Amino acid sequence: MANPLPRTDAAPDAALIAAWRDGDEHAAAELVGRHARPLARFLAGAGAPDADVDDLVQETFIRAFRSVDRFRGQCQFRTWLLTIGGNVLKDFGRRAARRKVVPLDDVVRDATGDPQEHAEASEVEELLAAGLQRLPRLQREVFLLRAQQGLEYEEIAAALATTPGAARVHYHHAVRRLKEILKP
Amino acid sequence: MNDEKLENLAKRLGTEAAARLDVAATARKVVERLREQPVRRITWVQQAWLRIAAALVIVLGGAVVASRLTPVRRSGISTHPAHFVADDLSDLSTDELRDVLATFDELIRTDSVAVPEGSTDLHELDAQQLRAVLRSLEG
Repeated sequence: MANPLPRTDAAPDAALIAAWRDGDEHAAAELVGRHARPLARFLAGAGAPDADVDDLVQETFIRAFRSVDRFRGQCQFRTWLLTIGGNVLKDFGRRAARRKVVPLDDVVRDATGDPQEHAEASEVEELLAAGLQRLPRLQREVFLLRAQQGLEYEEIAAALATTPGAARVHYHHAVRRLKEILKP
Repeated sequence: MNDEKLENLAKRLGTEAAARLDVAATARKVVERLREQPVRRITWVQQAWLRIAAALVIVLGGAVVASRLTPVRRSGISTHPAHFVADDLSDLSTDELRDVLATFDELIRTDSVAVPEGSTDLHELDAQQLRAVLRSLEG
């Protein structure tokens, strides 16, 4: 293993990624510490069952670290990580659908925690979570990256290999449909 | 519902799941899994070379098998003995030709051979005429 990188809170992600490429496990752990919670929020918002969020977060980091050579700084590491999380969640939904032989959307939507947790969540939040599952995947991810994670369209476009204009259009379509769903 | 309220609502999505996450434990598990299953360093270029090598092995192997299954036929070499003798006549000296003709004299006595007009003895034939006689023996 390479010599651990001396780090401070200000150490940029790029330095940690470079250290991980050289085999520094502490750098990998540091990156997990920085981005695990935002990733968990994104996955849960995109429909991951609460009970599986931890596993999905782990799987996302594993995939990211294994394919880190493909990350060339086209966007922030966190944004890249969130898009990988979207793919991990999609694969999870497919596997779950094969096991249970029910539609993918039902698997994701119906498995979002136990009844107690549902009771704790507000009715509007539940409606929003359910509404997000009715959106096309790209619209859902653009909406979450923008509204939940607070990213700029340029950043979203770079992560999803599209244009800022197209990202903006996806976002507005998502907002319009969600407003219709949430209309009293 | 306006955009601002929708965005605020979106920001709250997943906050409970994120709060429940044991980040230190997750980091530990990720590192352990990475250690157990090391990063695969085979790039797509290496994979492409592997595919090319596999294709070459298949093609060459197929060619070897095909050559073994096909009967060998050496082109340009006749297996007929008369052709062999006739093709070599030009390499023979006059004395060697006479020895050959002496042997054929024996054959001529028993077989019907088309001897060129005006010839009474094979010894009098030149190389060109001898070739004609030998070809007539091919049947």
